[in-house]
Amino acid sequence: MAYLSAMRQSPDAPAVLAEDIARTFSDHGHPTRALADVDLQIEAGELVSIIGPSGCGKSTLLRLIGGLIEPSQGCLTVHGQSPKQGRREKRFGFVPQSPALLPWRTVRDNVALLPRLNQGKGRGMVPDHEIDDLLASVGLAQYANSLPLSLSGGMQQRVSLVRAFALQPPVLLMDEPFAALDEITRSEMRFLLLRLWGHTKATVVFVTHSIDEAVLLSDRVVVMTAGPGRVQQELHITLPRPRRHGVQDNRLFHQHTAELRRALNLAVANGSSR
Amino acid sequence: MMTALTRYAAPVSGLVAIFGGCELYVRVGDVSPLMLPAPSRIVIHLISNVGFYARNGWVTFAEAMAGFVLALAIALAAATAMAHSRFVERASIPVIVLIQSTPVAVLAPVFLLWFGFSPTPKVLVAMLFAFAPFVSNALTGLRTVDQDTLDVMHSVNASQWEVLRYLRFPNALPGLFSAGRIAVSLALVGAIIGELYGGSTAGLGYQVRIAQSRNFVDELWGSILALAFMGIVLTLAVMSLERRVLRWHSSQTTFPSTNKRV
Repeated sequence: MAYLSAMRQSPDAPAVLAEDIARTFSDHGHPTRALADVDLQIEAGELVSIIGPSGCGKSTLLRLIGGLIEPSQGCLTVHGQSPKQGRREKRFGFVPQSPALLPWRTVRDNVALLPRLNQGKGRGMVPDHEIDDLLASVGLAQYANSLPLSLSGGMQQRVSLVRAFALQPPVLLMDEPFAALDEITRSEMRFLLLRLWGHTKATVVFVTHSIDEAVLLSDRVVVMTAGPGRVQQELHITLPRPRRHGVQDNRLFHQHTAELRRALNLAVANGSSR
Repeated sequence: MMTALTRYAAPVSGLVAIFGGCELYVRVGDVSPLMLPAPSRIVIHLISNVGFYARNGWVTFAEAMAGFVLALAIALAAATAMAHSRFVERASIPVIVLIQSTPVAVLAPVFLLWFGFSPTPKVLVAMLFAFAPFVSNALTGLRTVDQDTLDVMHSVNASQWEVLRYLRFPNALPGLFSAGRIAVSLALVGAIIGELYGGSTAGLGYQVRIAQSRNFVDELWGSILALAFMGIVLTLAVMSLERRVLRWHSSQTTFPSTNKRV
């Protein structure tokens, strides 16, 4: 229920509000602009994908929202608070590209760790039976006591998803979480994410470089361009929910992917001719 | 049966060859026991004087272990400080290089001068010997953590202590164990060197010194053999602890759930 209290604190504030933010890195003493003039608004409960050519700063934007790095300029709030404050109150679930499990902890203990950290802020301790239920819902019931090393890459990434959802954060940040998986597993993972998300109504910011993935998952797709990273265009995906297997055969799905491909081509062209 | 036979046959035949060769050389060549007593004679001497070797072995063992544990504790504390502060790291590196490149055995007389007749000089030499492998491996293990895992922990605002306890320290364990395997025999070398310099009334190193000066050939070789035995047992003990603790690590062979061999 953490996300409810977040909305109570600032009922009108959007889940994510970025106004004219920029981020500059120092590259061997030379300042390099990773992001410039980014405006972005994400409403609570929205699933938004960020897509763009490599080097467009989409991961940087995600890390800025999560308060893992700070903007060089501009104003960024999450439910009306600074990202840093949001991090302190454990309002984020972060899913990186690799499963990032602790190899010395069993699957269950991996999931149980994050709620305990930072003085058990947020929702605090998650009871074992709830973790086991979550693991069962992703088909990993019999692996609760296994060590990560004995699991396949796809199974490990499912544990990583469960770990983020067990926190029940109002905002989930995902940085190409399925990019390293094989095609079949990846497809399964997308529908798994939709199913888990359907139960929570959390806000999801999902970084990807897959057009199909962006269309399949999102309410809205933010297309970015490189050098420095800017928002090129935003597309609304009007596919009805819940989206299930076979949605890719939908005519609307093809229209959206075609539209997104055109936008992405334009973004690539803009980025290279800066 | 067959696998056990092949597994042990080769290493055992090596030992048999070297000891059997010695035995043959001594008996056929009629070598004076003062130069080299027959291995069988040393073994018989060892068995009939078990109490003597246990007493002296215990002294050496205690010194080496104290040095080993002290080295581990100091190396961990130093590496933790270095992993959290670039300044501390840059300030410590010259000191560590100094320790690593000085033949620390030459400090034994200095410690003897400072601490005299006590176990302290031996413990300190043992500690210096064991310190170097621990500190470099500990620092590497604490530093080279997975960036994604670090991001996940930071995303819930984990404290530095939590990151140390749940991520950095377990991450350093494999390196600490491989350092431990080397450090345990180095600590033994350090303790022996400390005893050889004097300032003691017991210990296997002390007995070696006494036996050498009085031409007690049996005691000399008996102590050497006892030390070799202790070194092997200690290394095996560290390895068996490692197998237990690092069941999650890819260096440890089998996993029952999938029976996957890595």
